[in-house]
Amino acid sequence: MMLQEATPDTIGYMLFGYGVILGTMALFVASLVSRFRNLRRDLELIEEVQAPKRTTTES
Amino acid sequence: MQPMPKMLRILTGVTIALLFGALYLVFGYAPREAIMGEVQRVFYFHVAAGWVGGLAFLVTAVAGAVYLARRRRGWDLLAVASVEIGIVFTFINIASGSIWARPAWNTWWTWDPRLVTATIMELLYVAYLMLRQGIDDPDRRARFGSVYGIAAFVSVPITFLSIRFFRTIHPVVIGSNDPSAQGAFDMTPRMLQTFLFSLLTFTFIYVTLLWHRVRLGRLAEQVEQRKMEMLTV
Amino acid sequence: MLERAEAKMRAPAPGAFASYLRAVGAVISKDLTAELRSRELLGAMLVFSLLVILIFNFALELDVRARQSVTSGVLWVTFAFAGTLGLNRAMAVERERSCLDGLLLAPVDRSALFFGKALGNLLFMLIVAAIILPVYSLLYNVNLFRPALAGVIVLGSIGYVIVGTLFSAMAAQARTRDMLLPILLFPVVLPVLIAAVRATASILLAIPLAEIRGWINLLIVYDLLFTAVAIMTFDYVVEE
Repeated sequence: MMLQEATPDTIGYMLFGYGVILGTMALFVASLVSRFRNLRRDLELIEEVQAPKRTTTES
Repeated sequence: MQPMPKMLRILTGVTIALLFGALYLVFGYAPREAIMGEVQRVFYFHVAAGWVGGLAFLVTAVAGAVYLARRRRGWDLLAVASVEIGIVFTFINIASGSIWARPAWNTWWTWDPRLVTATIMELLYVAYLMLRQGIDDPDRRARFGSVYGIAAFVSVPITFLSIRFFRTIHPVVIGSNDPSAQGAFDMTPRMLQTFLFSLLTFTFIYVTLLWHRVRLGRLAEQVEQRKMEMLTV
Repeated sequence: MLERAEAKMRAPAPGAFASYLRAVGAVISKDLTAELRSRELLGAMLVFSLLVILIFNFALELDVRARQSVTSGVLWVTFAFAGTLGLNRAMAVERERSCLDGLLLAPVDRSALFFGKALGNLLFMLIVAAIILPVYSLLYNVNLFRPALAGVIVLGSIGYVIVGTLFSAMAAQARTRDMLLPILLFPVVLPVLIAAVRATASILLAIPLAEIRGWINLLIVYDLLFTAVAIMTFDYVVEE
């Protein structure tokens, strides 16, 4: 009979590893999305504030 | 702010598809490694993330050099975008390496030259950002960032060599297994294919994220400019 | 003093190289005369180094056997921290006295300014080392007087000072200047510290030359490489 070492059960670590990998990437993408949204909102706000000013200075 | 260019939409779609493909290969196609078990699968994305970290660093250094020569803001924007992505993926590299090490060599940290060099690279990235943060003048910020980016990138190969030379003379053996062996497992053809596909996927991920991040940078600049206009009116 | 330095740089020279050397010399002599008059910097570096050695004595339990393996590391950590002090101070002094602008106006290659400052910093570091070594030898009864050791200290200090001068020129213009220099410097200068510590340890343990040669080669490569980087990038750091 051949003596063979059983392959250790490391599936837990693998899931942990992939959780970290994919989770970190997802967090980064989320941060990009959030920053985009904030900037777009800022831009809209600025344009709102500037638009009436323009019409008043033009008249 | 211009809407997302069509190329970028297509690229993003392709990248997502590639990611799903890579995940399938890693979990469904690659064989289970005999000695370490399932955790070995972490290796595919671990190395790919490390590759992106190094690539991002190279791009930062080159973009910085071009900025010094041409002085166009776009190059500096590219450098900063690349650093951010580099920080994220180098972290992924280090963290996944640590998680892999735990069941494989019974330790959370191995003083392996690659892992240590990756950590130093992460510190260099962070130092880069801290340098920029401490400077108010945008032109000076870009110039200094470029110089540090170049110097830092040049230092990485030498750092790696010095640590490796250090290790060959002072091998660190922890526990019953020798971590300096770095889990040398023979890659079967399926493993190799999965590995190469992961590298390809992550390269696409890098380019896609870089493009998005550069667009973000441009938008931020635009907003800053409009704010300045508003204040001076 | 500023006028004299400027005048020296503008003095008619038989060749471009001679005037270049003159510029470098002018920068060094300006720094040295300023320092010799105030003696602040050198004094601070020395006191600091002695304190670090003292702290190590209590922190590391340097019994006779431990000393053997730890001396090299203690020495180089001391040099690294004292060196940071010197670099920070040198650049801060420059800003305070606004000498930098005057030097930049002089019609000479910017790299002369860099080499002048770097050589000045190097001199300070070597003076500190020259005093630390006998002190350490005395306190711990270790013979540190070997010529090979002097060589390693010189090579290591050169690498440290070249990168340090370049980075301190940048850090000095940032808001967080004093904190920033070590953060910028240490990761980049790590190969120097590794090589210098290993080479020093090998020399003290009388290990054959072959192993030491590898580290020395590394130091030389590092020094050459970063001298090139510094020459190419210093202009961009000081331009206004």
